[in-house]
Amino acid sequence: MVETIVNILFSGIFHASVLFLVAAGLQLVFGVQKIFNLACGSFYALGAYLGIVFVKYFLSVGGPPVLAILPLLAAGFVLAIIGPIIERGLLRFVYDRDVHFQLLLTFALLLMIEDIIKLIWGTYPLSTQGVYLAFGILDIFGASIPVYNLIVIVASIVIAGIMAHILSNTRFGRIIRATSDNNEMAQALGININNIYVKVFTLGTVLGTIGGALVIPSTAAMSEMAVDLIVLAFAVVVIGGLGSMKGAFVGALLVGILKSVSFAVYPELEMLLIYIIVIVVLVFKPQGLFGTAT
Amino acid sequence: MKKTGIVFLLLILAFLLVWPFIGPEYQVYLTLSFFAYSVALLGFNLLFNYTGLLSFGHALFIGVGGYTAAFLTSRFHIPYMEVSILVTILLSGVVAILIGLICVRYIKIYFAMLTLAFGMLFHSFLMKTYHLTGGDEGMSVEQPYLLGMDFSSMDQMAFFSGPYYYYSLGVLILASIAMWRIVHSPFGLCLTSIRDNPDKAEYLGIGIRKYRLLAFIISGCFTGVGGVLLAPITGHMDPGMVFWTHSGDMVFMTLVGGFSNFFGPMLGTVIFITLRDVISSYIEYWRLIFGALLAAIVILSPGGVIEVLTNLFTLIRRKIMAGENAS
Amino acid sequence: MEKNRREFLKTAGVGVLGAGAAALLGSQKAFAAPAKGVPKGPVKIGIMGFQAGVAAVPGIAGIRAAQIWADQINKAGGILGRKVKLKIEEESKAKDTVEKFKKLTIKEKCDVVSGILSTGNGQAVGKEAEKIKQLWLSWDGTTQKGLIETQPKAFYGFRSVDNELEAVAGAITTAKVFPNIKKVAGIGNDYSYGRNCWAAYKRVLSMYNPGVRFEEGIFTKLGETDFSAAIDALAAKKPDLIMSSFWSGDTSIILKQAAGKRLFQKVKGCFTTGGGVHDTLKKEFTPEGLILGYNSLYFRWTDNWPLLNEFTKIYHQKHNAYPVYECCHAYFTLQAYKAAVEKCYGLTGQWPTKEQVVEALRGINVPSLSGYRGYRQDNKQECCFFMGLTTHKNSYDFVTIDPVYILPSAMIQKPEGYTFDQWATAWEKKVKG
Repeated sequence: MVETIVNILFSGIFHASVLFLVAAGLQLVFGVQKIFNLACGSFYALGAYLGIVFVKYFLSVGGPPVLAILPLLAAGFVLAIIGPIIERGLLRFVYDRDVHFQLLLTFALLLMIEDIIKLIWGTYPLSTQGVYLAFGILDIFGASIPVYNLIVIVASIVIAGIMAHILSNTRFGRIIRATSDNNEMAQALGININNIYVKVFTLGTVLGTIGGALVIPSTAAMSEMAVDLIVLAFAVVVIGGLGSMKGAFVGALLVGILKSVSFAVYPELEMLLIYIIVIVVLVFKPQGLFGTAT
Repeated sequence: MKKTGIVFLLLILAFLLVWPFIGPEYQVYLTLSFFAYSVALLGFNLLFNYTGLLSFGHALFIGVGGYTAAFLTSRFHIPYMEVSILVTILLSGVVAILIGLICVRYIKIYFAMLTLAFGMLFHSFLMKTYHLTGGDEGMSVEQPYLLGMDFSSMDQMAFFSGPYYYYSLGVLILASIAMWRIVHSPFGLCLTSIRDNPDKAEYLGIGIRKYRLLAFIISGCFTGVGGVLLAPITGHMDPGMVFWTHSGDMVFMTLVGGFSNFFGPMLGTVIFITLRDVISSYIEYWRLIFGALLAAIVILSPGGVIEVLTNLFTLIRRKIMAGENAS
Repeated sequence: MEKNRREFLKTAGVGVLGAGAAALLGSQKAFAAPAKGVPKGPVKIGIMGFQAGVAAVPGIAGIRAAQIWADQINKAGGILGRKVKLKIEEESKAKDTVEKFKKLTIKEKCDVVSGILSTGNGQAVGKEAEKIKQLWLSWDGTTQKGLIETQPKAFYGFRSVDNELEAVAGAITTAKVFPNIKKVAGIGNDYSYGRNCWAAYKRVLSMYNPGVRFEEGIFTKLGETDFSAAIDALAAKKPDLIMSSFWSGDTSIILKQAAGKRLFQKVKGCFTTGGGVHDTLKKEFTPEGLILGYNSLYFRWTDNWPLLNEFTKIYHQKHNAYPVYECCHAYFTLQAYKAAVEKCYGLTGQWPTKEQVVEALRGINVPSLSGYRGYRQDNKQECCFFMGLTTHKNSYDFVTIDPVYILPSAMIQKPEGYTFDQWATAWEKKVKG
């Protein structure tokens, strides 16, 4: 029994920690720019694929597998460059338009990135070798937990902590909060909104790409991963409340653990359960658990 | 409607009437999809353009229509197309009421996401109830009787380019007239006024939610009928027709054609179907091209191709008139 | 072990080896002129496979095999002197797939369409093929609904082997290799293939091992990338063996994540068709001693089958990967078409009609990449399945199997005119004597 509970908890939290990163990116961008980024799953996929490339190179030049976390993080950060490219090259043209166009632009991005990934990496499942199990396995209460999963969980919590610190204690964070509360007022106060948008969108992108890069040693990259993830990330932010960081955190935990529990109790319910909860939340608590918007 | 507009429409109609006689067989066959999607988009655009609500789950209603046709023709052996259409209108209405009651409390992104969630819930439902719906394998759709007439002895392609072609065209014309009247009725005007200024509309005593719900129901019914028309073309329905990316296709068509014009989405279906047919045969990476095209439309010409064309048309006419004045 | 494998080859009746080499290394002919009675212009062959999504893995492999086949045939002078021209179209959801099938038939005027992987699309295209009278040679798409054949009397459609064959082969191998297991848990993809395989596996294994108990099957959506929770759930059932019908990227993912939870240290495993992505099954996380099945093509079964040897070499040179099962499906359908056309020509001296090709295809048997393959009189394919136990004793970074058991479809596929259930019942009687 203890073993089962430990397993459910760790599997759920592991899943949640990756979901959180992607959802956090989604929330940040939505909070400030009011854009619901359908391409956030694509950033996650890009992170995964580039992570593989970096790790392969790192190992081929003799890098020790236990330090493979470095090239993975590097892959996530290198992909920051697509943030400004997309924001300056595409999104900035539609800020004053109807919100629907912004959504559709990110849908266009999703279509494009899916094929770009296919163009570069093909459709065969790809993976890193020699990293996931190099960290060993931890046995507690009869349950076996891969140490790498724990590293991802810790990394995600650290990132959450850094985000919380940035948002509440720094000037940049105050500006972000001010802009997301009242965009026009912030502008009137002399905040360079373009500058903020670039930074926020890039930060949102990096959260997604790091999520993808970190998860990849434990799994394999497949062309479907972007489209699949967006549905889950979407569930997370709806449950947690659009635009809320705390919501992303709690929502991710809920979805992750629910998925685990449903496997243990009644596997057939899995995805159905998540959609049903999304709808129930929207009916009874429309703004989500921590949201403010209506 | 302006005179030139009516002349233009009649020309197109005349062309569509003779098209099966002059067009290549396969292109005529593709025109069937154009009719079906056009009917579906009439419904979609009632929400998007006239009510200001973007549904990212409208493929759900295509599914309601398609699976209704599948159940009736292949499970219950009721081959009458009219029965399929009527039952679909009924079912779409019921489904739209249930979903709409929840969805219309929201607007903008929330509405889009909520409809997406319902679409995916329906997708999961179809996959899970495989004993009933065949799950991923989908269901067969038998060739329907049209106006009580059985065409099963006819060659399949002859059926498609003959009876079924004109039947679909007829449904499209009827649906277009009906929708035209709806959007130009007092009800339609209420919808646009809610879209443009909800606070003022509320102040004037228009029940916003009631109107949005009605629009959602009507929209669902039209899209459902589009789904019924689509089903026999393939002879098969599968959950892929309900997946959210198919809803995305519908949004794409509407936008490319031009959502702010009544006929824009129809032009969009022509562009989408033709482009996809041509491009995907030559380039494996057609999604990349479609994505780029969508981005270009959103950024450069949100009014879609029809806006570009009408602008071009007025420009030319002005030039000609200026030329006449000069001489 | 080598001796062991030879024995199996013999017992499986796949005796006539090496004949395929002639087809491949045939003399180089230029396109001087088509043979007498043969129309000018190329033979147009429509090819359809997935190019995006999870099913693109086999889809693209099949398309590549078709291209390699066409290159070879054209180098050797084409079919009766006619050059082969491939028209490739994408398989996706049923509506678009049927449209493309029509396009290949009506607009491109293809002589034959080879392809289709999904069962649902198979039902749609199978019906369509009969209606527009187009010859369709399926790669993987059967026309089954569950375990039931929906088109038992197909004429223009030539179907792939039944969906559940891998599971039947897996069950037989399980009964042979692990006769003492008591409890079995299963995991598959959440769609008909996954569920049908589980049902068939249970049915056949319980014939040979009546005492075995089966847990409720677990089904995850196609394209899932996190199996932690599913692995916990499987482990919690404390089975002796876990059966999985995964065929895509999920095979390597679940094995990797299972290694992180020491699952297969305690439990035996049977991956009925994981060989479809064999080179992703790295040694670091794939244990030895798992049952692993290859659908109709085991890339390493090359020592006495030059056709495969040569193909694997070309494929690897061209794409830096090893061929998988879909290659053989594609290759076989094209070889069969060519042989049927030539057979008809030998009889009539004319390029055959589609109907004549149908007659010639029935009962045909040609060398393909995985040995001889053919079509039954009811248009259903026959081929061999390769099952074995995973081993690390090879020069690759992924596992191979040793010994190799070869199970011909004549043994594991329901015969003409029988439903799966009738056949299984008859089989059960025989087993129980």
